[in-house]
Amino acid sequence: MPSWEDFKPFIVTGLALGGVYALSGVGMVVLYRATGVLNLAFGAVGAMGALLSWQLINHNGWAEGPAFLFCVLFGGAITLLYGVIFGPPLASRDPLVKATATLGLALILLGIMDLVWSDKARSMILPTSNHGFEVSRVFVNYTEVIAIAFGLAVMVVTALFLRFTKTGTAMRALANDREITATLGVPVRRVEAAAWLGSGLLSGAAGLLLSNLVGLDAATLTFLVISSLAATLIGRLRSITVTFFAAIVIGLVNALITPILSISQYRDMTPFVLATIALLVLSGRRGSALSGRAG
Amino acid sequence: MIEINDLTVRFGGVTPLDQMTLTFPHGTNGLIGPNGAGKTTFFNVLSGFVRPAKGSVTAFDDNLLSMPHYRRARWGVRRTFQTEQAIEDLTIYDNVLMVHEHSPKQNRGAREDDVHRAIKFVGLSANPQAKVGTLGAADRRLVEIARAVVGKPRVVLLDEPAAGLPDEETQRMGEVIQKIPEEVGALVILVDHDMSLVSACCTKTAVLDFGKLIASGDTPDVLRNEQVKQAYLGTEAAA
Amino acid sequence: MWIPRLDAGDRVRAGVISLLLAFVVIVLPQLLSGYWVTVCTSVAIYAIVALGLGILMGRTGLVSLGQIALLALAAWVGARLFFATNLPFPIVLLGSGLITMVLGTLVGLPALRLSGLYLALITLMLAGAITVVLRTTNFPNGGHGFLGHTETDRGAASIRRPAIANGDTAYLRYAILVAALMFLLALIHVRAKPGRAWAAIRQSESAALAAGVNVTLYKMWAFALASFLTGVAGGLLAADSGQLFITTFPTSDSITLLAVVLMGGIYSLWGAVVAGLLMQLLPALLNNWGVAADWLTIVFGAGVLQVLLTAPQGLAYQFPHDMARLGRFIAGRVGRARAPARERAG
Repeated sequence: MPSWEDFKPFIVTGLALGGVYALSGVGMVVLYRATGVLNLAFGAVGAMGALLSWQLINHNGWAEGPAFLFCVLFGGAITLLYGVIFGPPLASRDPLVKATATLGLALILLGIMDLVWSDKARSMILPTSNHGFEVSRVFVNYTEVIAIAFGLAVMVVTALFLRFTKTGTAMRALANDREITATLGVPVRRVEAAAWLGSGLLSGAAGLLLSNLVGLDAATLTFLVISSLAATLIGRLRSITVTFFAAIVIGLVNALITPILSISQYRDMTPFVLATIALLVLSGRRGSALSGRAG
Repeated sequence: MIEINDLTVRFGGVTPLDQMTLTFPHGTNGLIGPNGAGKTTFFNVLSGFVRPAKGSVTAFDDNLLSMPHYRRARWGVRRTFQTEQAIEDLTIYDNVLMVHEHSPKQNRGAREDDVHRAIKFVGLSANPQAKVGTLGAADRRLVEIARAVVGKPRVVLLDEPAAGLPDEETQRMGEVIQKIPEEVGALVILVDHDMSLVSACCTKTAVLDFGKLIASGDTPDVLRNEQVKQAYLGTEAAA
Repeated sequence: MWIPRLDAGDRVRAGVISLLLAFVVIVLPQLLSGYWVTVCTSVAIYAIVALGLGILMGRTGLVSLGQIALLALAAWVGARLFFATNLPFPIVLLGSGLITMVLGTLVGLPALRLSGLYLALITLMLAGAITVVLRTTNFPNGGHGFLGHTETDRGAASIRRPAIANGDTAYLRYAILVAALMFLLALIHVRAKPGRAWAAIRQSESAALAAGVNVTLYKMWAFALASFLTGVAGGLLAADSGQLFITTFPTSDSITLLAVVLMGGIYSLWGAVVAGLLMQLLPALLNNWGVAADWLTIVFGAGVLQVLLTAPQGLAYQFPHDMARLGRFIAGRVGRARAPARERAG
């Protein structure tokens, strides 16, 4: 059994990854609650944004700051575009259909990324990764700090936003019942657009951070969304707080298993195992699949 | 007959069914009431989709509520729904066959006879091998009735079986429904808003309003009842 | 109850399909060169996988986002059986089919009571888990231990093929025949009691329950059938490749499979054939013409969106419709051309 010293560095990386999973997870849950769409292309959007940033820096001579900003904005723009074009015609369909449609977007983005950039190894280092500080003899770089802090901030701000602002309340109403909300005079399309945009910006940010923490590779970044999905599942696609904590736990456990050599190779199973356990507990408690309905 | 005793359903702050106590005799029974009165909830209790907070349902001396929902169809509860549920991708024959093959076992020959008999009973003239998706609304509704009467059902619940049909088809539907208790041997409960259909088919009728039973008895008397009329029209009941 | 009735139309269709099958088995392999033989074998194998997914999606509305991971697992099982036993090839295929069926059903069991979206996500989660495990344990290559894998510098042992179909061309014929059998198995299901129950469930679960259908059982059955089919395909794939690597089963393939199944059409068994062609033949064709296969990924993505937006029945529904219309058009033309001749003769 490894010692405490062996675990310490992984606490930081775990928290950092968990932070990014958290901000992705929260982004996906908010969008789902407002529009019924679970955006499975969340990772692909972020990946493409990161690759575009890389391209701008290394081939078009952009400075890093504007390029990173571009990544975030690109995420917002593409997601918003998708939401505006494909949201309304699919609005009345089952959430499963809506989620499957986002897979179409994911494939399109994956195809473009493979076409333009193929799978050559690349790296993009944020300036904050080169500076940091020491805590208890473990080096923490600022990118990791940003990841943790941002994840927390997103959770808090989103919770406050949903509760206290007009648009946020409208989003919660939409999640409850789209038709009734429309009849109340809420500008449904505009509120949904806000949800799409916000969630998209978060996917750009997540892509940027992950390209730093994990690596700049289209497939890896695209499918890392599965770890965030695990967190959203544990939060039952409803609770932002649970999603946040689940994401942190997933990131932590995943990283902390690294020094335990006997199971270290299987550590990437963490999100799946935790999500499956959570879902089994869920289905056990729910009892009959058909719940009572009024009428 | 079916004895309902003190049947109550609660969801959150709403009570869709409130202490319903009633006996449905053999034959065709009507169950009417304004929208939201609890009629579909009542059917959902009988089907097993909704668990009541309290009360009992005894059908032909069997405790219906103790059976899980998929057993009830096997026991003999059949039901049609407000929205069309005949399976469009299957033929008329397969639609009716499907219900029959999920009931108590019978040999193949008897099954085919039963299916054809049910199709003939409702008076469907279309080719049994035609896909239901190609039929018109009236024929689709008849397919649903055929599915409800095939085999040996004991209780047939009809939820607005003629919804959306013009008068002539509704009348035809009524004639079919009237035959069910005698020719099929099942107890029928009919929920509908069409009073002419209810008075044509049902000997006895019960009325629900806001989950409470406000009248029951011979159909003509019930339909003339002041309280019933006011429940529908929404005016305050006379003191 | 089990044997579906065949009417006149069915008999004609059966005749046509038999002729087509005879052509594909006997004539086609002779016409193809080495590379295309292996491509067509892949088409046959992935058509079986697509068949499983199509039944799951088209008949019960359940979506699996991890069929390729299940295929990888099935290939592992197949390879293990091939190396560990001396059982005849068909028995091993059956074995890998059954074992995969059991595993797939166990997975489905607790998840079936959750909503469709949750089920899809669980399949995604489990696919990820399988991929992680397989990446570490690798595939059997004739080595020792339970995992049957030994790291070796020399070439590893090749997974065996049936004695009668060792060469690539012969194996193609074998694969097509197995595929035909699998389609027949699926057809028997669809035309009989399970198919009717699935149609009812697809229309409305509560109405199906009210009609006495044991919805959970039939969903499980669909899962079991899809898993069995994938299991058989996995065995075929193992023997086809000779050596297996995790790179043969990328996560994105599960999504691509979903896309081609949707595009091929989930309500018709032919859709699975179209799906196999889309997924395995088109990329090979594109590669041959010097076009990057990534363009196909983009097309598939667009295809998913198009199908979900407009024609949920997919191309396999449109295609026979268009063919029928073309047939009528031709018949009309021929009729008009013949009429004056008949008049002259009469």
